[in-house]
Amino acid sequence: MHFFELLVELLLMPILAFVIGLAMVLMMRRIGARIQRRVGPPVLQPIYDIIKLYSKETQISHGLMHEIGIIMAVGGYIAAETLLPVPGLDGLADKGGAVTLAYMLMIPALGMALGVGQCANPNGSIGISRALTAMLAYDIPFILVIFGVSYVYGTTNLAEMITIQQQQGVASWGIVQMPLLALTALLILPAIMGKHPFEIYVAPAEIATGPMVEMSGKFMGGLFVMQCFQLYTAGVIFTTLFLGGGLYWITFLPKIFLVVAIPMSVAYLFPRYRTEDVLRLMWKWPMLLGLIGLAVVMK
Amino acid sequence: MTALDNLLLISAVTLVIAVLAGNSRVGGWLVTIMYALQGAALMMMSGLGYSTLTMVQSSFSIEVLSQQLLWRFDALSWFFALITIGAGLFCSWFASGEWGEKYRDNGGSLRLFHGALALNVFSMLVLLASGDLLTLFIGWELVSWASFLIMALAGGKAFGYAMRYISYAFAGAMALLGGLLLIYAEVGSFDFQSLKEAVPTMSSATLWLLVVLLTAGFGVKMAILPFHLWQAKAYAETPGPGAAFLGAISSRMGLFAFIVVIVQLIGISRLVEMKIPFTFLDAQDLLAWIAVFTIIIPTYIALRQHDARRLLAWHGVGQTGYMLLGIVIANDLGSAGGLMHVFNYATYQAMLFMVVIAVIHRTGTSNLNKLGGLFTRMPLSYLAMLVGIIGLAGLPPMNGFVSKWLIYRSLIVDGSPLLFLGAVIGTLGTILSVYKLIHNIFLGQLRVEHVAVREAPLSMVIPMMLLAAVVFVTGYFPGLVLDWTSAVQASIGIPVLAHHLGGIDMKGGLDMIWIVSVLLVGFGFGTLVFFLGGRSKRVHQLDNYAGGHFLTAETRYHYSDNFYPGLMHLIGPWYRNSFEWLERGLISAVDTLSTAMQGLYRNAHPSYLLLAVVVFALSWVIV
Repeated sequence: MHFFELLVELLLMPILAFVIGLAMVLMMRRIGARIQRRVGPPVLQPIYDIIKLYSKETQISHGLMHEIGIIMAVGGYIAAETLLPVPGLDGLADKGGAVTLAYMLMIPALGMALGVGQCANPNGSIGISRALTAMLAYDIPFILVIFGVSYVYGTTNLAEMITIQQQQGVASWGIVQMPLLALTALLILPAIMGKHPFEIYVAPAEIATGPMVEMSGKFMGGLFVMQCFQLYTAGVIFTTLFLGGGLYWITFLPKIFLVVAIPMSVAYLFPRYRTEDVLRLMWKWPMLLGLIGLAVVMK
Repeated sequence: MTALDNLLLISAVTLVIAVLAGNSRVGGWLVTIMYALQGAALMMMSGLGYSTLTMVQSSFSIEVLSQQLLWRFDALSWFFALITIGAGLFCSWFASGEWGEKYRDNGGSLRLFHGALALNVFSMLVLLASGDLLTLFIGWELVSWASFLIMALAGGKAFGYAMRYISYAFAGAMALLGGLLLIYAEVGSFDFQSLKEAVPTMSSATLWLLVVLLTAGFGVKMAILPFHLWQAKAYAETPGPGAAFLGAISSRMGLFAFIVVIVQLIGISRLVEMKIPFTFLDAQDLLAWIAVFTIIIPTYIALRQHDARRLLAWHGVGQTGYMLLGIVIANDLGSAGGLMHVFNYATYQAMLFMVVIAVIHRTGTSNLNKLGGLFTRMPLSYLAMLVGIIGLAGLPPMNGFVSKWLIYRSLIVDGSPLLFLGAVIGTLGTILSVYKLIHNIFLGQLRVEHVAVREAPLSMVIPMMLLAAVVFVTGYFPGLVLDWTSAVQASIGIPVLAHHLGGIDMKGGLDMIWIVSVLLVGFGFGTLVFFLGGRSKRVHQLDNYAGGHFLTAETRYHYSDNFYPGLMHLIGPWYRNSFEWLERGLISAVDTLSTAMQGLYRNAHPSYLLLAVVVFALSWVIV
């Protein structure tokens, strides 16, 4: 019986992630609109977009790997969501912890990179080279954060981290215990989500939206779905590591939306950084903060 | 006749067959069958890999200087022998078909090639079977010369690189010999057990000298920093599957000897007691840091390579660092990860080299700037390379992820953030580099001259596919390999890792059966979501948007050279070739010294020499 409960959980977790991710995309667009003094899209716009993309008449495929790449991008995230514990649903949190999750999240990136490579469009390949460089930039401070948190809680199991923080109250939350590491994570969050100001790899004017240049119809739709998962994952990871996760959805949801909203509101104010400047920035301030934060928590 | 006698005998017979029949049409296949027989002989001792047997002795032994020379297999030797024979089998299989015919047509001697390969396997087995320090040294020298032979086969440039290797190997062997003499002076025996008993009473200075000499000796073979320069070029220029074999296992012999002498006999706990004055470090930390720099520097050198074989060979140097790191950390997780990485790495590195050689076989080049778009022409090779690069980069669901995960986890348990950071920096660099590898060979634009290229022949594809299956299955069920590493841990006296078929149970454990299953199901759902959309239309590769340009087959418009300009803009100036510079400096110093000596002996007036000798003799007599 327990096995079937687990299967239901595993099915439910990606679906919830997708729905919440849609809402996050909406929120992100609304924030962007308000900052630019626009009204922004209606509530159901993300759903309309997905339906529109999937039912397009012209859909260009550049070969099998182009298609498999999109499948890997979406499928990888579907699998990764089952490693992320949320209120009431632990999923596979005890079968692979934070380190496993960090590496699972590279599967969609790899899938997309391979798919774009097959398109044989130089703009796409340039975009991927920039995206991978950006990944190298933000993953180094990110891994410092993962290490620090795992060290403080004495486990890499995300569900146990939530339990520890829930049982011992706000004073034991990651953000109180390790404020510097939390700040590091907040600084790199827009880069993890692939958003302003770290999205030079899209660069519409210069390399024709880079990785997306050959993506039409359901290919673009797949990337849209992936974006929903991406925002949700970033929000949940930060909440789990630093904001005590959540016992109930009613307390959990505001936290994850807040986590996504903060960097979005700030990020829209900045112009894009060039690739080498992303590296320089990420390897300077977040790294410095992360190392000091680590030194503090490890004494 | 013990099981070990059988194995060594079959291996020697393989060598004889390779030399006698190597050039004939069926020679390669005969040798391949002999490797399979060696594998069967090894399986007769499989109890070693599952802790049901502790040791298999060879009945052959000789007495030198009142020392009994012994050969025997324990769990560690069995584990390494399994990889060695497996690598020999697959590489010889790969070489037996079309590759061999082409090699012979181009003037290569298959007799020499198969002979050299069989000699390598045989000498490695002899080294793995060594039962005391003297037999270890004999095996060591055999392995060095055997690898030199296979490296030098191609002649020309390859011979130069092989000479460079053998100079390094000589220096390493001298350091090793010095270490052994020191042991003999201190202990009075070359016996493993007497050394182990003598270690606690040795003075710290002696032990330091011993550790430095032995690590340098073994480190040359492993190509750890600062001895890393020889390996990549020498391996890359080795003909065809020989490169796959050397890349997979050859330099692991250094790691084997390191484990036997430093970990098993001297002991990591003794290293921890050896503090470095005026620092917080001890000998263990020092080795761990050497391992981390061995990960980072060669990996980022690999990122800059334009030749697929060079790129892979440089990664080989970098991956050694992970193994050494895991083993030096020496808790149950780390050592299991380090040992498992030896196996995992051998499987995907051999496969990746095979793919690159298959590409060379079909297109005639391994220059990453002259390839591209081969996915549509060589889909199975592409699949093998995809599996291989996921393994090399250490991502789930392949086996490379499990061993790296164990090493990361051990560093978290150990509380070493900077080592952890270094290991991850290496992994991220690997991801960038292997994407460039697969992109520039198989993705992007297909060149006009490669339109007619066909898939590699079956004799190449089958070994690749089998290895791909091993990489995937041991990633899905890592317990299969962890059984062997546990037996090794037990036999060398490190805490044994508790594990099950899918991974390990602990706070924040890992269960690959679940992880991989959920990933596969995720891909299944991803496929469903994909096919929810309308029908897509396949178009020609040049039918794409280029922002106003027109793409034609005549004007190459392919992105491959200097693949990461943004990154190189920042880290490019950090490549200073300091080690090359150091090596050149050392060479010219030796050169100057030898010229000076030559001048003294040959050119200077002999009477001055006579005078000097007389003065010296007189002063010695008087004083």
